[in-house]
Amino acid sequence: MNRMAVVWIAAALIALPIGAQVRYEDILEAPNENWLTFMGDYSANRHSPLKQINVSNADNLVPKWVYHVPEAASLSTYPIVYDGIMYITNSNEVHALDAVTGRTIWVYSRPDVELRRKNRGAAILGNRVYFVTADCHLVAVHRLTGAAIFDEPYADTKDGYFCTMAPVAIKDRLIVGVSGGDSGIRGFLAALSAETGEQLWKLWTIPGNDDFGADTWGPKTLPWGGAATWMPGSYDPELDWLFWPTGNPWPGFYGGDRPGDNLYSDSLIAVDLATGEMQWYFQFTPHDVWDWDAQEPPLLLDLEIDGQMRNVVVQANRNGFYYVLDRETGKFLRGNAFVDKLTWASGLDENGRPVLIEGMVPSPDGRVVCPTVWGAANWMADSYSPDTGFHYVMTMEACDLFTSSAREPEPKIGFAGTGAERQPRLDGQFIIRAIDPATGRRAWEYPLTGPTASWAGTLSTAGGVLFSGDDDKHLIALDARTGKYLWHFNVGQTIDASPITWARNGKQYVTIVARADVFTFGLFEPL
Amino acid sequence: MRLISVLLLAATASFAQDADPDNAGGATVSERYIGNAEAVSAGQEQYELVCSSCHGVTGEGGRGPSLQTGLNARASGDELFHTIKNGIPGSGMPPSPLEEETVWQITAFVWSLSAPAIRQNVDGNVEAGEALFYGSGGCTDCHMIRGNGGYIGPDLSNLGVTRSVAQIRVSLLDPNERFTEGFDPVILTLKDGTAIRGVAKNHSNYAIQVLGRDGRLYLLNRADVTLEFRESSWMPANYSERLSEAEIQNLLAFLSRQSVRPVETAEGGNLQ
Repeated sequence: MNRMAVVWIAAALIALPIGAQVRYEDILEAPNENWLTFMGDYSANRHSPLKQINVSNADNLVPKWVYHVPEAASLSTYPIVYDGIMYITNSNEVHALDAVTGRTIWVYSRPDVELRRKNRGAAILGNRVYFVTADCHLVAVHRLTGAAIFDEPYADTKDGYFCTMAPVAIKDRLIVGVSGGDSGIRGFLAALSAETGEQLWKLWTIPGNDDFGADTWGPKTLPWGGAATWMPGSYDPELDWLFWPTGNPWPGFYGGDRPGDNLYSDSLIAVDLATGEMQWYFQFTPHDVWDWDAQEPPLLLDLEIDGQMRNVVVQANRNGFYYVLDRETGKFLRGNAFVDKLTWASGLDENGRPVLIEGMVPSPDGRVVCPTVWGAANWMADSYSPDTGFHYVMTMEACDLFTSSAREPEPKIGFAGTGAERQPRLDGQFIIRAIDPATGRRAWEYPLTGPTASWAGTLSTAGGVLFSGDDDKHLIALDARTGKYLWHFNVGQTIDASPITWARNGKQYVTIVARADVFTFGLFEPL
Repeated sequence: MRLISVLLLAATASFAQDADPDNAGGATVSERYIGNAEAVSAGQEQYELVCSSCHGVTGEGGRGPSLQTGLNARASGDELFHTIKNGIPGSGMPPSPLEEETVWQITAFVWSLSAPAIRQNVDGNVEAGEALFYGSGGCTDCHMIRGNGGYIGPDLSNLGVTRSVAQIRVSLLDPNERFTEGFDPVILTLKDGTAIRGVAKNHSNYAIQVLGRDGRLYLLNRADVTLEFRESSWMPANYSERLSEAEIQNLLAFLSRQSVRPVETAEGGNLQ
């Protein structure tokens, strides 16, 4: 930018819109009437304090509007709501809607970006809305007008990356990650300037040749062994640390070319927000050969464990075990299986490392292993209610036939080392479970019908209502304390996102995104 | 959304000339001609002989519609070829007796008339245009580029990839020719008599979303307001008098280079 432009811009700033700005402090207080991050808050608890919709009136919920996203067939966006405006994303585009009426305010679209992928949502900070394009640019647009502010690349598709995640806005920066972990990429997490999009730091999730952990790979796959960062993590403002999950090692189903634990795949990493330095790591599935990314939400909780209050991070992992870790040290505190169909490990040792069962490694002729490649849990949202003390997890009870082959790995080439498939006789089921994180006890469960083909998750509210998409095209409401059915609505299409709740003019609403449309519900109001 | 359709068409058209990487060596007929400088040049000669009497020497329109900004301005290469080859029955547009290759050359030239501005050669001084845009032109009172400027007019950050030079010229000199979707000028009056001037982002019989000149977004029930849609834009219509032709050209040169993404320009350079 030349000097003259800087002068002109300084003069022009006076004309910026005067609408309210989203501050970091506002995000710390959310969710309330606003829903300001992918998870609703930094702790990934997804618990709303709203209670106008409650256990006694949830059966009076009615649809208020439906918004169709043109050409959409696989929406996976978790909306952001701020000051009565809802922001949803599809591949390479973001839509701003009047949240009460569902009417379009603006659309920012880049149809010229040839690469298209799912997109999981936007971030908001200041007067800007941020999202990532499929080809890994961070885009900033004005929240009231959709006016373009910057469009900066942070990863190169030539290196095998694509991007789907919702960026996370914290203080002066956006935290972004990458997809492509089934193609021989080198995963990383990065902080980009909210002002300009420039990179502030970058943390590789696979060590370089001389770094700690390099000896946990073989030469064929270092440093191209995946460990993608395709889902948002959580953030502890007091420690000023991020807690970020990483994806599977690559090739996914054949481990012969990557002897060792394969750090930092299938891990939770604690990262200093200011510097990008890793504080600790915990690996859930060392030397994974079942494609069990650790991308399930890491919830930050303060729990009483064995009579002592602990700051912990918990995760219901794709591998079927539930983990409670100390937030400051990463130390394993306790864990247990949260599904019944689990055949690859007999339990966890005192450090949280799985105790493997012989004969469960994928082979050319196939091995039946539980859970499935989709896992006992996955990227769909969990929630935690401080009122009930329960962690609500969309769990899957199912098994797959896992096969492998020893094809030579080539970095940046899509290749998983064969794969896994559901056999007709291995039919599975989604079950919503309320888990007590302190003990691992299942308080209640709500089995779902359906083809095990959705990615719907849960939302907890102070009204005592647990909302969730189900596996059979419904938004459902359950009593969060008992799991008792309260209400459902058939949206007529598969749900690959998780509900949110928000309020405007004293009225509470619930929004769910299905594959092609956005649905918003509120209480029935007689004329 | 009309605007979105237009943008989509624009993008389809602007990238049709890029060969499909999965089909290298097997480019379609359209891809061989559209965007090919030789074909455009040969097509221009034929155009001036055959087409210019109705559509004007530069495609500005006359007896026939403008090829720079008219209905066909965003057609694909194949669609344009079909129209030129077969004519439009029931209109003054006859079918062409020329050989197929010649028709494709004309197609390439006509397509180039409405190519995205960033792919066109534009006379004028970009820096002088920038100074005018941010300075005495007053453009940033209403328009933004990369987050800097006003908001009551359309964002111009991607203008070079979404509009042709001819379209930009029309928007600059005749802002009432059409309103960009989401920018219909409106005055709404609240029940207490307060009048709000702004642009309607959207409106139905039940709800209206208006961005006010005061910088506020008004999300209101239709029943709570009285609406007056203006026939003239909030944008001054006198730039053809306020600016010299050289200044207009400088401004067009600057605006036609706007894209928040790096894009290859007509000169072969890479912006940003």
